[in-house]
Amino acid sequence: MRDVAIIGAGMTKFGRAQGDLMDILAEASMRAIKDAKVEKEDFDAVYVANMMAGETVHQTAIASSLVDRINLVPAAAERLENGPAASGSALKNAFIAVASGFYDLVLVAGGEKMSTADTDVVTDLVATMTHPTAEYIHGVTLPAMGAMLTRLYMERYGLTERHLAMVAVKNHANALKNPYAHIQRACTVEGAMSSGIVSDPLRLYYVCPISDGSAAVVLCSLDKAKEFTDKPVRIAGFGHATDVQAVHEREDPAVLKSVQLASKQAFKMAGMKPADIDVAEVHDAFEILEIVESEDVGFFEKGKGHIAVEKRVTALDGELPINPSGGLKARGHAVGATGMAQIVELVWQLRGECGERQVKEAKKALACNFGGFGNNTVIHILEQGW
Amino acid sequence: MERFIGYKCKSCGRVMYPKHDRCLTCKGTEFEEVELGKEAKLVTYTKLYAIPEGIEMPPLTLGIVDFGNNVRAFGQIMTDDPQLGMKLRPVWGKLRKMRGKDIYGFKFEPIEKS
Repeated sequence: MRDVAIIGAGMTKFGRAQGDLMDILAEASMRAIKDAKVEKEDFDAVYVANMMAGETVHQTAIASSLVDRINLVPAAAERLENGPAASGSALKNAFIAVASGFYDLVLVAGGEKMSTADTDVVTDLVATMTHPTAEYIHGVTLPAMGAMLTRLYMERYGLTERHLAMVAVKNHANALKNPYAHIQRACTVEGAMSSGIVSDPLRLYYVCPISDGSAAVVLCSLDKAKEFTDKPVRIAGFGHATDVQAVHEREDPAVLKSVQLASKQAFKMAGMKPADIDVAEVHDAFEILEIVESEDVGFFEKGKGHIAVEKRVTALDGELPINPSGGLKARGHAVGATGMAQIVELVWQLRGECGERQVKEAKKALACNFGGFGNNTVIHILEQGW
Repeated sequence: MERFIGYKCKSCGRVMYPKHDRCLTCKGTEFEEVELGKEAKLVTYTKLYAIPEGIEMPPLTLGIVDFGNNVRAFGQIMTDDPQLGMKLRPVWGKLRKMRGKDIYGFKFEPIEKS
């Protein structure tokens, strides 16, 4: 198996995009290609991550469109759909292809255009990830799932609403320093705690927005990477695991077991431990998830994630900054593109290019991307490859 | 009368809901249908205000209930005043409309204290 490096990264500003899905996918892809300085190279393969193009923009087989648009023809091209973990899955598959020696130069792009559909339509499309007969038909939405998990945490671990607000305030503050973020607005604990209730006890400020956006990276072997860049980012490890679909049927509905398993795999492959990580991007579709994932990834003891928030451990200047980009909450959540936006942020962090939101001494980074309600998780660990 | 059904593994006896084709405990592949129970406890809940299509009025109370022995189910909770640990029973009824069609299933009604 060869070492694999990310040699270029690019993304669009998340939010409401003027262009269509192919415009934003092409924009992010060309930024990554130019960043890697491989405009004139032949690509072997393209992996396009997307969750709902068929439903939101009435377009299918979008990988064929992207290779046409940016002329990577005749590279092998395919779309990967794995709910909001589509990008994590696409990167994992691209990694395996390069590591095995089968492909040498690969583009991985995630893209989603959601603003074309009404909020209730998008909420319903996302809800179709849940179990069709045991959950979906009963009227569940993903915010309702987040709310039920929050209540379990309040009951069991003493989490309070204020902790959720503190995560939101942190992520909004980080996003203010990120020109690619969807939400460019500071918020206060009191402001968050007086926003409208979406699904009790979750208020609007504890729930991510619906975003358009695209992000992309270029991969090649670490040996070859040195021809293109002085700062290749090595993919040190990945983990990918699932859990049963219906939340009620999990061993413990307050545990994201797929996160725990994917994390263990990734750390084993990387030969690292959670304490080695300098910066992380996690999947905070709801602010409770940043807290739960930070525990189940292994950063904090189970039930103590909210204490770390209180102590500002996860703040930009804390011991372990989480979601310096603003996270799903404020950088935005363009479902199929979100995992790649996490990776792009971490590539920039490791290369020291994040300006005001730069995490000091960021040498090793972790991204946690998940689909469903935490039952399909892909984790990547990145490190400086120079 | 409709019965709220789970699936009991003929090899190890584990009861599952919803259905799986390999047992979650022993990978057995033969199952028999069993009634999940007449009484369950509320484990967690939410009152959903941003309601989906086909629900008439917010809030929609949703929750996870526990029948004991780690057999749980998810569904609509028929009260505006849910309390953790409260006792509920499954009742058959209309859940919502989806694309204009009435959808039926089990939901959970509080058992009145006598």
